[in-house]
Amino acid sequence: MQAVQPMKRGRVRLGRWLPALSALVALIGWEGVARASGLPQFILPPPSAVVARLSRAILDGSLLGHTLVTLSEVLAGLALGVSVASLLGYALAKSSTLERLLSPYVVASQAIPIIAIAPLLVIWFGPGRISKVLICGLIVFFPVLVNTVVGVRSVPRELYELMRSLRATRSQVFLKLEAPAAMPVLLGGLKIGATLSVIGAVVGEFVGADQGLGFLINLGDGLYDTPLVFVGVLTLIGMALALFGLVAALERRLLAWRTVEV
Amino acid sequence: MRTALAGWGLAAVILLAGCAADRESAPMRLPMGFIPNVQYAPFYVAVERGYYADEGLEIEFDYSFETNGVKLVGAGELPFALVSGEQVLLARAQGLPVVYVMAWFQDFPIAIAAPEASDIRAPEDLAGKRIGIPLLEGASYIGFRALLHAAGMQEQDTVLDTIGFNQVETLVAGQEEAVVVYANNEPLQLEARGHPVNLIRVADYVSLASNGLLTNEATLSENPDLVRSMVRATLRGIEATIADPSAAFEICKQYVEGLDQLSAADQALQRRILDASIEFWKTDRPGYSDPQAWQNMQELLLGMGLLVEPLDLAAAFSNEYLP
Repeated sequence: MQAVQPMKRGRVRLGRWLPALSALVALIGWEGVARASGLPQFILPPPSAVVARLSRAILDGSLLGHTLVTLSEVLAGLALGVSVASLLGYALAKSSTLERLLSPYVVASQAIPIIAIAPLLVIWFGPGRISKVLICGLIVFFPVLVNTVVGVRSVPRELYELMRSLRATRSQVFLKLEAPAAMPVLLGGLKIGATLSVIGAVVGEFVGADQGLGFLINLGDGLYDTPLVFVGVLTLIGMALALFGLVAALERRLLAWRTVEV
Repeated sequence: MRTALAGWGLAAVILLAGCAADRESAPMRLPMGFIPNVQYAPFYVAVERGYYADEGLEIEFDYSFETNGVKLVGAGELPFALVSGEQVLLARAQGLPVVYVMAWFQDFPIAIAAPEASDIRAPEDLAGKRIGIPLLEGASYIGFRALLHAAGMQEQDTVLDTIGFNQVETLVAGQEEAVVVYANNEPLQLEARGHPVNLIRVADYVSLASNGLLTNEATLSENPDLVRSMVRATLRGIEATIADPSAAFEICKQYVEGLDQLSAADQALQRRILDASIEFWKTDRPGYSDPQAWQNMQELLLGMGLLVEPLDLAAAFSNEYLP
């Protein structure tokens, strides 16, 4: 038994380093392919060229400026999408009539090819940030809504009966039973939405923008500065990972009450 | 993200291209830089009338992004592409060995359109005005900056909105006081919708290298006859289109999906777009590239900070392959 413990600790330590290790292997592989293929930098820049371009973009302040613009659009879009989706999701979960009435529209909202309607949103709401925030919100909307419905409906009927037997008010049922019970599934939807919202902002910026990471990527492409394109893409990936991590941290905090069975 | 994915896709295509056994016998892909359009009539005519076939060429049109075409030619994967002049210098500044060998548009086609009733009639009138531009890159942006330069103005002297390719809608809706357009396209669409415009044409203020045929240094050194053949056949297509626009328009119906399904009014509009485009192609010296236009383009790009240092312009374009 004692011999097993060090092995287990070793596995835990290795597990902690695995993501960094896999990233390092991927980077080495990328550098190798870029060099061995002989492809010019404007087709496939090696990571070393991307890192050099990244440091230039950081030093001249341009990357921070564009990142903050996209981040503000993403956060606003997330707030909009999550608010509307969770409110509507709760209503749909509680009313089958409402669900029958609105379901076709909800599913249709997910089927909208965002890239096709993005130019229309720019016309309807102007070239400012509103159109980008709306696109973000639209992308976040569906996963959060579906998870809200599933979360609220997953509350066991016996618990409702228990609350009724305790003469709980409607707000008590919501706060003490439904919200905590739905929270794990809702946060699952939020994780997906947070990641997708980054794509939403970039789609909006591709259609028409003069700031943001989508604009930076377009600019890099237009100037044949492919390392700059990769800088923009990697920053977006970093932003999506950070948002995912933030929701995961929120999840750990909000769901700390849960006992984990091993 | 689209462009990064396209970049990886491009790399994958290039890596896999070496495996294609029948590469030599395949038709030659020609990146056009835009969707199928009546403006490409000379190329459709050259195929249909057999001008390319006469030179032993089989062409397949590729409607991908202009920058992808430049990269494929720069990487030596395709011998030719159609591009705007500024792309040649921007690409060469990044080390792409591309060379412009045939001018198609004789004038830079970008203009600023404002409602006919407005007081915007010259570049100076743009001061303080709200102007919509598709993107802050490419020919539209270059043309816009050229007009500001002509008036001694800076970008900050206007209120510039990036609106995507929604110039017609935003001008009609009154969201913008003026929009940056292609002189042979959007103004005609606006007019057809009952919104005639004043046009401030870049070409009236400065001569800039415009759309034409791009190749690469390897093709020029290893297969100059291929370049001559391509130029010769394309010039025949341009000449035939200018000589008989009606016949060219009929040929376009085979290549521009839905063109023959349009209403009579919309077909007439497309025909006017072709006629307006033809005006840009007319010249006494078909295919000739004016060195001063390249010099002007370079000075503009340097002034905009898009070029860091002057390039060897003699290596960027050539008139040697014209018939």
